[in-house]
Amino acid sequence: MSALALTSHFVRREIRNRYLGSFSGGLWALIQPLIQLAVYGFVWKYVFRMSAPGGADGPGIVAFLAMGVWPWNAFSESLVRATTAMQDNAALIGKIALPREILVLSSVASSFLLHALGFCVIVIVFRASGTPIQLLGLPLAAFAFVQLFVLALGLALLFSAIQVFVRDLGQTLTQLMPLWMFAGPVLYPRDYLPERFRAWLDLNPFTFYPEYLREALLGYGTTGTPWLVATIVALAVLAIGYTVFRRLSAHFEDFL
Amino acid sequence: MTAEVLVSARSLGKAYPQVFRPRDRLSALWRLLRGVPDSNATVVLHDVDLEVRRGESLGLIGENGAGKSTLLKLLTGVLTPTTGAVSISGRVGALLELGAGFHPEYSGRDNIAMSAALYGLTAREMRERLAEIIEFADIGHYIDEPVKHYSSGMVVRLGFAVVAALRPDVLITDEVLAVGDESFQKKCVRWMEEYLDGGGTLILVSHSMYHVQKLCRHACWLRHGEVTAYGDVFEVTQKYLAYHEAKLAAPSPRAESAAHGAEFQLLELRLNGQEEDTPLLLESEGTLRVDVGVHSRDGRVPVVVIGIARIDGTPVYGVSTEMDGVQPEAEDANTFRVEVEFPQLCLLPGSYVVKAHPLDSEGVRLFDTIERQLTIRGNSREFGLVRLSHSWKRVATPAGARLRGVSGV
Repeated sequence: MSALALTSHFVRREIRNRYLGSFSGGLWALIQPLIQLAVYGFVWKYVFRMSAPGGADGPGIVAFLAMGVWPWNAFSESLVRATTAMQDNAALIGKIALPREILVLSSVASSFLLHALGFCVIVIVFRASGTPIQLLGLPLAAFAFVQLFVLALGLALLFSAIQVFVRDLGQTLTQLMPLWMFAGPVLYPRDYLPERFRAWLDLNPFTFYPEYLREALLGYGTTGTPWLVATIVALAVLAIGYTVFRRLSAHFEDFL
Repeated sequence: MTAEVLVSARSLGKAYPQVFRPRDRLSALWRLLRGVPDSNATVVLHDVDLEVRRGESLGLIGENGAGKSTLLKLLTGVLTPTTGAVSISGRVGALLELGAGFHPEYSGRDNIAMSAALYGLTAREMRERLAEIIEFADIGHYIDEPVKHYSSGMVVRLGFAVVAALRPDVLITDEVLAVGDESFQKKCVRWMEEYLDGGGTLILVSHSMYHVQKLCRHACWLRHGEVTAYGDVFEVTQKYLAYHEAKLAAPSPRAESAAHGAEFQLLELRLNGQEEDTPLLLESEGTLRVDVGVHSRDGRVPVVVIGIARIDGTPVYGVSTEMDGVQPEAEDANTFRVEVEFPQLCLLPGSYVVKAHPLDSEGVRLFDTIERQLTIRGNSREFGLVRLSHSWKRVATPAGARLRGVSGV
């Protein structure tokens, strides 16, 4: 109960910290992916001159990209931020006894909160501007975000614990994130890959989410990874991350 | 009357890993993941047993680096013990650093909310006590300004105000009384006294023996990570102070060779009949008898000086036979003896040195020195070296006078 109250305090503080002193306030969370979307869309259409996925019957390039950009932003931002959560809060950890998982949880939660909100707004905009959004897919999409949250939380717990010992992890992760993005169908559909590479995408735990969102909301394509597998993977990652975190967290103070 | 045990630590120990190179961190990570204990760690706390019952107050004293802060962090759960276990029941108010968890960009009001949540207050309790906190902090309009504009004293006021509003079952605190201005310090001490009177439990780390004696009934002296003394606050603090005084005093062994064959030589110095070199233990207001024997080479009558100094060398009192117009008694041609008695010795508790010197018959040249240690025991909280006789006039009995304050006299 009090852990929950504390988490909500930390989430609020984290969100305020991010936009403290910026003119646009929380709006920036929406503007930044919009700019990203515009840039990707421009490059697709006018630089690479690729046809929109699904052709004329498809959902359009902007809607297609949006289903990848928002979940990816939530996922990658929460990982990069949460990995250094222990270090960033070292002063607090050394003075006040609090469950340290809360710091990771609130870091991941605040990223997801902002981007899920942005995603809701963009879906409403699509719907209003005539892109066919399948309303029945909305609860499925919402649940996919919860699954993605579980996956991100598990990885964040694992990374933040290791980061205390191996300080290079945060740096490396920042460099690896773009690579990770291109290793999944965030900016392209699976069938744009040569036949023999397509199955490789299933090794990326993130692959499920853009494909699933496109299928559920836009009725485009099929999801390669079965839903059950994605769920099991997310839960397993959380279990591993939590176990490692618990095992190491007793010693954080000695290494921070 | 045995109250429930709120804080207990059993064979508590803490060792820090030795980490010098980045590689050490990697191997430490691997070792911890496998759950293998560290064989190569620096032990900072070893085998500490503590038990604090409801309503008790414990002062932790010791030199810098003795492990006090580590022990405190272990008790509050900030650190995980390497060996042993801590169990705490009830709401703990840990005040390891005032203003811990304050964010400099936010207003005092916002920080109160955050801080209260960190200490485990619910939102409702927080709202109910907000006014109380702001009143206790007493920093005026600054409460709505960002904490980064605060003076360090104001941060301290706000931090203490939050903890005061917490009404913890156990208050664990580290040197808090050392900061803040005079009036706020008094406010803190008064609050702590009220808290203790109200059945509160306190664990306090302080270098101020005055505060420890004022607030605590028990004390624990840590030295090199081990408990050196544990028990009644007056006994422990006096041992601790005596240890410090002895550490400060320069060792001055008796210059045997110089004295040998000199005109006058001390044969012995007895305190209350005891000649051994162990410190004499004396209750405060006890009687001290000093016997001195002097060998006179030429059979001339010596002048004998008796002095008492605190163990760090500060002189307290000195007197000679010549000043008082007396002479040592001749035992035989070359041996003289004198005895002096100090009834109701008014030295305050602590460690002292009794010195004796023979002077030539004219009282000019000093020949020899013997020192004996003297430890005065007692429960006095007075300051200084000696008790000066005094009587209070125009006094009233203060409301809610603390029994402890009276029992020392």
